[in-house]
Amino acid sequence: MKPRWRKVLSDLWDNKTRTLLVVFSIAVGVFSIGVISGAYVIIKNDMSASYAANHPANIELRMEDFDRDFLTSVQNAPDIESAVGRRIFAIRARPVNSTQWAALDIVAVDDFKKNDINLLTPISGAPLPGKREVVVEKKVLKEFQVAVGEDLVFELSDGSTQTLKVVGIVQDPTTGADDFLAPPFVYVTMSTLPTLRQPDAFNRVYATVDSGKNDEAHIRNVSADLVSRIEKNGKDVSRSRIALTNEHPLASTVNAILGILMALGILIVFLSSSLIANTLAALLNQHLRHIGVMKLIGGRANQIFGMYLVLILAFGLLALLIAVPAGGQGAYGLALFIADKLGFSLLGYRIVPMAFIIQIAIGVLVPLLAGFAPVIEGSRITVLSAISGEAGRETAGKPTPGAKRESRWEHFQVRAAQALLRRGIHLPRPLLISLRNTFRRRNRLILTLFTLTMGGAIFIAVFNVRTTLFDYMDNVGHYFVADVTLDFEKPYRLSEIENVARQVPGVVDVEGWAFATAEVLFPDGSVAENLTVLAPPAGSKMVDAQPVAGRWVQAGDTKQIALTEGILRSFPNLKPGDLLTVKTNGRTDHWQVVGFFKFIDREGLIAYGTYDYFSREANLANRSVSFRVVTDTHDQPYQRALSEALDQHFRASSYKLRQARPGLSALDNATESLDILVIFLLIMAVLTAVVGAMGLTGTMSMNVLERTREIGIMRAIGAGDGEIIRMVIVEGMVIGSLSWLLGLALSVPFTYLLSTIVSLAVFETPITVVFTPLGYFIWLGLVVVLSALASVVPARNAARLTIREVLAYE
Amino acid sequence: MSATSSALIELLDVSKIYATEAGEFPALRGINLAINAGEFFGIVGKSGAGKSTLLNMITGVDHLTSGEVLIRAGRDVSVHHLSENDLALWRGRTMGVIYQSFQLLPMLTLLENILLPMDLCGLYRPRESRRRAMELLELVEIPEHANKLPAYISGGQQQRVAIARALANDPPILVADEPTGSLDSVTADHIFDVFEKLVTRGKTIVMVTHDTGLMPRFNRHLVLSEGEIIS
Ligand SMILES: Nc1ncnc2c1ncn2[C@@H]1O[C@H](COP(=O)(O)OP(=O)(O)OP(=O)(O)O)[C@@H](O)[C@H]1O
Ligand SMILES: [Mg+2]
Repeated sequence: MKPRWRKVLSDLWDNKTRTLLVVFSIAVGVFSIGVISGAYVIIKNDMSASYAANHPANIELRMEDFDRDFLTSVQNAPDIESAVGRRIFAIRARPVNSTQWAALDIVAVDDFKKNDINLLTPISGAPLPGKREVVVEKKVLKEFQVAVGEDLVFELSDGSTQTLKVVGIVQDPTTGADDFLAPPFVYVTMSTLPTLRQPDAFNRVYATVDSGKNDEAHIRNVSADLVSRIEKNGKDVSRSRIALTNEHPLASTVNAILGILMALGILIVFLSSSLIANTLAALLNQHLRHIGVMKLIGGRANQIFGMYLVLILAFGLLALLIAVPAGGQGAYGLALFIADKLGFSLLGYRIVPMAFIIQIAIGVLVPLLAGFAPVIEGSRITVLSAISGEAGRETAGKPTPGAKRESRWEHFQVRAAQALLRRGIHLPRPLLISLRNTFRRRNRLILTLFTLTMGGAIFIAVFNVRTTLFDYMDNVGHYFVADVTLDFEKPYRLSEIENVARQVPGVVDVEGWAFATAEVLFPDGSVAENLTVLAPPAGSKMVDAQPVAGRWVQAGDTKQIALTEGILRSFPNLKPGDLLTVKTNGRTDHWQVVGFFKFIDREGLIAYGTYDYFSREANLANRSVSFRVVTDTHDQPYQRALSEALDQHFRASSYKLRQARPGLSALDNATESLDILVIFLLIMAVLTAVVGAMGLTGTMSMNVLERTREIGIMRAIGAGDGEIIRMVIVEGMVIGSLSWLLGLALSVPFTYLLSTIVSLAVFETPITVVFTPLGYFIWLGLVVVLSALASVVPARNAARLTIREVLAYE
Repeated sequence: MSATSSALIELLDVSKIYATEAGEFPALRGINLAINAGEFFGIVGKSGAGKSTLLNMITGVDHLTSGEVLIRAGRDVSVHHLSENDLALWRGRTMGVIYQSFQLLPMLTLLENILLPMDLCGLYRPRESRRRAMELLELVEIPEHANKLPAYISGGQQQRVAIARALANDPPILVADEPTGSLDSVTADHIFDVFEKLVTRGKTIVMVTHDTGLMPRFNRHLVLSEGEIIS
């Protein structure tokens, strides 16, 4: 091997700590980008592919009960390729050996063999249920443990129970794909319905269109046409939903979340490149004498440039060797996790060429870019300054402007110390030395501070975003004040239910609510949004309303509603006071929007109206099918216990109770899904913190290495191991604390930015940012510990040096 | 350029002024000097007289303030008119430079240290380079240490390697700044023997020393004081 390449090899091999530091700095960035871009590609493709593979319906109609003849007329409607009828209803179930009920939805299918819409993917056991058998969706297993061959107990509307055998576990990537908070599904045949005391009638239509399966406007038209046909036949459609065949309904949300992660990944690359630049600058600095010697004996700038370029490329390749396989695994892991949460399956492990290319590009280009400036500078140095060791020392021989500033800074330090002394404040010598050392290499300090500050600011911002999200969920909780919701099969008088409910100890308040469903129409008559109106009595204590614009509904309101901001998707210019055209109970009406509030919209928008008006509209004055109960304690176990108690009490008093639900459970589901997002964000935060800590370790090692001689001299004049270690650690902690202060400020814009992006992706509306001291304190503790740790190894190395080694050091 | 002289190295009115924070400091004041091919030329003077500065003007590792340095090895070259890159290549082929502090690369073996200039200047094929490097190690009488690292041999041996490296591209001129400065007198004597041997083989050597006792061993010398030639 040519001696110059031998030198490059030695540079790579001899200082393993430094090589590892550079390699890991590069690898962290490559890894994060690999994971995110890989997961992005896999999910983007597989999410919709697995969705499309199961023949998703383009049109879903929720209707009043209908029979097979009626279904035939739907199948014959224009531009309908295929249509199936199903019966979907809520039920409670539990394994035989458990007492804990779980809320499920039963999906009854007429003929599984002929069914060609919303197909099921078998996972284990039988793919389809027979009579008096059930097949469960895999999400059911999150509610309780049940295996193929075991029995489930179902609670029927009359209070009796029915036991059915689980014959298979399946995955259903299509039904309810737009709502990952929906209760899990259990599948039966229509012939099982009598066993479950349900009529042999459908209440849902799932249909595919003949052409334009991915043309939203076309599907909307076909759907509107179908709905008007059905309504002309005298059947009510309470809700319609359309979907494209080749796009998962949640694709845009998931992509938005991945986009956020991608932004953070790019940031990590950015940070790691500043780390690389720092380390390479230090390396070049240590190599100045070598460069001078090579120039002295005939080396030209481009030869030297080439040598260091190869060195940097070698760092990059080593990093790729680690980060590419790890990134590929990580990408699939992340994709698997998301797929599992959202209920679709992946097409199998694979290397994503796109992610592979991105990783290689980053692993090669980033270190080259980061090292370019130091290498150019190093290869340009004159022989004399390199050999005499002037360049690269703290005070350069030639009076450059930088050197002047530095001496001014030293001047300031001496003055400051003197001023403190005059006031009787005596800073200990070692602390003074640490402080002075901290600022000796200003460029390096700036880069280190930058990395650590960014890491800290992101870390803190993630905590703030987490609090912001949960605060928002809390806000949403104001609309879920009820501890138990009671749904009945038929309407009952308000006073009657209130009296019976109050017989259960713990019940404080009971309200009967009215409901309405409506479709909000565009001016051209097509459906813009589905709307559910909740109508509590005027002055209800169970809604802690906080409108963000306009006012809340009040006593005396009739066709007035307060609406979630989600409506702005379809009507961006809507203001309080404006009228909306709606279709409700089969006729067109105009409702006035009095105010907006924030809410997570699921399966359409939520609106609030007054009980007086909407109960009269439904011919249910002073009566209701749905009641809200407030109890004296509000935690979830208590709510659950009380909903059991109410359930038994009403059934025992022979009321036709459909179900009693604890209030917080719905909210809990939503919070859980936010937790997933927060976990991702925290992982990214920890990664950035790790990059920051690596930066600091690198800086401290380089500082100590460059001061080897100085440390030797300090030892020679009597400084003990302890003093030297303390000196280095204090320096590290000064840097850490400084970065914390800077991070404090930087975290504010980061919090706003991240909150806005996240809330737009998840809630489709910006939400109010809330700050928490938690992140600040955790990061303070972390940065102090990290910077102490980052300095310990270099400090111990420094203390371990013998005088001989110090003198031999060059 | 002076066409009349045929000296190998010629300095014409060379001045060097250092700009320091305390003001301007003239380290060389109008030096005129001619060194002929085959000479063993000494530059003597007290510490701070400007000897190293003068050598740096000849090797071109530092810029002069005024004047000209001409070298007539193969083609005529005005050292301070070359670009940094051309200078590096020209110096690598024309001039071997030896410092008091050896300046070997610590991560390369002695053999590789000697191979490096040949690698960088590209005058010899790899196989030939190795043969030359071994010959040079024999010339400086340490062939047995060829594959050791510099840290594991003595100072005198390191200086021998530095000399061998300076000879790697077979340059006509050797420039040495106190090459024996950090060696004991016996070792220094051996190094001096090597230089004398090289002069007999036709090399031109310019050597700086503050040891006036060495003066008789040079063909010719000058004494420098406060940046001026005093004899
Ligand atoms: N980079 C520099 N900046 C300012 N002054 C310098 C610089 N280098 C050398 N000098 C000054 O120039 C004068 C000559 O220096 P030089 O190194 O040539 O002396 P020398 O004769 O080689 O001494 P020694 O025998 O100690 O090596 C000295 O007074 C020195 O202080
Ligand atoms: Mg000198």
